Amino acid sequence: MRALRLLGVGWLYHMKMISRSPFEGFGQVIYPLFFATVAFFVFRAGDSPRTLLYASLGAAVMGMWSATSTTAGAAMQRERWHGTLELLVGTPPHFALVLLPVTLAMATVGIYSLGATLLYGHFLFGIPLTIEHPLLFAAAILGTVLSFGALGFVFAVTFVRFRAAWALGNLFEYPVWLIGGFLVPLALFPDWVRPISWTLAPTWGMNAIRQAALGGSPLDDLLACAGLGALYVGLGILLTERVLRSARVRASLSLS
Amino acid sequence: MAVVEAHDLHRTYRTHTGTLRRRVKEIEAVRGVSFDIEKGELFGLLGPNGAGKTTTIKMLITLLIPTAGSARVLGYDVVKDAREVRKRIGYVFGGERGVYERLSGYDNLRYFAELYGVPGKLQKQRIEELLELVGLKGREHERAEGYSRGMKQRLHVARGLLHDPEVLFLDEPTIGLDPVGARELRATIASLTDAGKTILLTTHYMFEADALCDRIAVISKGNIVAEGTPRQLKSRVESGSVTEVEVYGVPDETVERLRKLEGVLAVWVEEREQAQVLSVQTRADIQLTAAILGHLNGANVGRVSHREPTLEDAYVALVTAE
Amino acid sequence: MTSLRVFFVGGRMTYRALFYWLTPQIYIPSLLVAPIFQILLFAYIGRSAGLESDEFYVVGNALQYSAIPCLFAMTQMIGGERYQNTLSAILVSPARRIPLFFGRALPVVANGAFVAAFSLAAGTVILGVDIPLSSVPALALVIVVAAFSCTGLGLINAAVSLRVRENAVLSNVIFGFLLIFTGANVPLSELPGWMATMSQGLPFTHAIKAARRLADGASFGSVSGLVGTELLIGLCYAAIGYAVLRFMEVQSRRYASLERS
Repeated sequence: MRALRLLGVGWLYHMKMISRSPFEGFGQVIYPLFFATVAFFVFRAGDSPRTLLYASLGAAVMGMWSATSTTAGAAMQRERWHGTLELLVGTPPHFALVLLPVTLAMATVGIYSLGATLLYGHFLFGIPLTIEHPLLFAAAILGTVLSFGALGFVFAVTFVRFRAAWALGNLFEYPVWLIGGFLVPLALFPDWVRPISWTLAPTWGMNAIRQAALGGSPLDDLLACAGLGALYVGLGILLTERVLRSARVRASLSLS
Repeated sequence: MAVVEAHDLHRTYRTHTGTLRRRVKEIEAVRGVSFDIEKGELFGLLGPNGAGKTTTIKMLITLLIPTAGSARVLGYDVVKDAREVRKRIGYVFGGERGVYERLSGYDNLRYFAELYGVPGKLQKQRIEELLELVGLKGREHERAEGYSRGMKQRLHVARGLLHDPEVLFLDEPTIGLDPVGARELRATIASLTDAGKTILLTTHYMFEADALCDRIAVISKGNIVAEGTPRQLKSRVESGSVTEVEVYGVPDETVERLRKLEGVLAVWVEEREQAQVLSVQTRADIQLTAAILGHLNGANVGRVSHREPTLEDAYVALVTAE
Repeated sequence: MTSLRVFFVGGRMTYRALFYWLTPQIYIPSLLVAPIFQILLFAYIGRSAGLESDEFYVVGNALQYSAIPCLFAMTQMIGGERYQNTLSAILVSPARRIPLFFGRALPVVANGAFVAAFSLAAGTVILGVDIPLSSVPALALVIVVAAFSCTGLGLINAAVSLRVRENAVLSNVIFGFLLIFTGANVPLSELPGWMATMSQGLPFTHAIKAARRLADGASFGSVSGLVGTELLIGLCYAAIGYAVLRFMEVQSRRYASLERS
């Protein structure tokens, strides 16, 4: 249970820090709105059975993903820059319990983006915000945030050796938007793409959120999302040991 | 069993330069350092900047893996049993960094208290005590970005003590503190050994090592060049005198020849504004002034003086020797 | 002749100044891979929404994405000079301003054009879009003019960024506006009246229209008017950017505001 407490406290303090830098958050919330705007115009003008609420939800999750993908990859770089990476590594708990709350906090910021996009669509494009199953909707959002945080954790540990970690993180923005099926039904993709989409928790999170909002059954999507999230955490934990050991050998935990 | 055991520690850094043609440069920062620290000792690692103090300490606190050699803290190997070591030690690095600027000092401590496993009910009390101890009370709820360098240093110290560790590693803890603050911190450090803690302190201030430490190891260019109690180190210089000659450029061969003279204990050269000062430490029973000046024949010579040797001389001699 | 030298030497300096930070690690993901995914993203969104064709989105996004290299490179170049405290030195030098700045802009334009051409080629191959070979030379010209036009806007952005700290946000916001208002993804007929009017003054709007017609097999003659307009827009932006930069120069002589504090 100490592990849970550790995750919670870490998340709390990193959330506190993130919310005290409004400028970064501003960029993360505003930027996806441009893409949402394009989506709204295109779906409004287009000739398809998909509603504007479909587009709104898709754009909202795009924003959620941006919040994670653009920041999580460089999480360890940022700590190193502040001189705190060494301090964190030198603490007794397994490093995964220390790093995961950081990426979870980054993923949580995505909720602001989700809210902003839905409200933007509602007030500027008149998209009605009728959610069929509000409680399940909330659960789906929570599940998605957790799985995004887990995926961000894998990014953070994997990208730590790359100098331009932020560029790599950005590299995963568009592809996930595309094959996560946020605005495009998976059926439209060639067959070989779909299995790749299925390995991404965002795909299932999006489905869960959509089902909960538009009326359907989000539970199995939510389960898949959670399962994948757990897998990511497992992968991250395995990588963490190797990465840290390498850093201790190469003296790359600090800047000097 | 000693609390800290270092056996022949080596650490080499490899740096890469250039992007197209990558050249690898190897720097041997620590070249075989060994020492033991007993329980309750305040052990000093004394040396100039770049001598390898910080590298040595980082190996002991599990942040760096030695290139060769081994070390144990409280019986646990620093490489294989890193987690066990981390539970029982605290460490304090100096500097502007290493603090979460957007959090208050208090929150910084709460966060690390949780990371170090301080029981929930104890956290508040322990933090209050520590804030009092390091003199941050009253400012703890301000954001750390507004802290002066000295305040950040104090925060580092508080953080190192959160989980009441048995062994404490302090890397130049008084750097950046004003004289009053530094003196208070030294008093605090001394009181910690009274409480039974074992401390390794690195510093480049001779007087600090002399005042605080039970034993000192002098480290220079990655090697330990002397070890002993402050008194033992002083006895190396108790006898004899130091002859100082102001010179304007003295060739290396002359310095070598002087070193080989009978009765000479040490020779070193210091830069002092426009000129250099050549210092020769000699045994008490020998008068070497004429011989020294003879060797300097031809070179421009200014003032010549004699004085009693100090511990500082021993230190300078040790760390400037080839 | 001095002007020509200043033009080319300054240009080569910018190339090196540009590429010291633009390592392959950054270049490939940001400028070669990302635009392809942007093209795919909007092409599929178009299919999902049932609006327009793949070709519409390939051309639109290939051109629009060159805003990234054009905007950021200009900012980096001018900001980089400031960082090295060489900007005021340059501004104080007796070299003629116009060849100086335009020489520096040349690699930026070339780079932007290359990025657009690359993603256009890749997009047409991946999505199986048919572009008549006869249109390729004309398309190349349109791409270069488009890059020039956006670089002009980039000059204004870069000049303003000298005073503003968070210049990445500004560049991203401009990119966002160009995404919506140039007809890259949203047909201009779908935009509210005032927005469509605003589009006429932005870079890319005319170039994208011309490029789409060329991709459909139109002759260069039929789009030359659009290309000319785009060129003119670029020149206007460049002139404004130049004026802003000179203004900053005067200001800095008074307030030493161009040195990095």
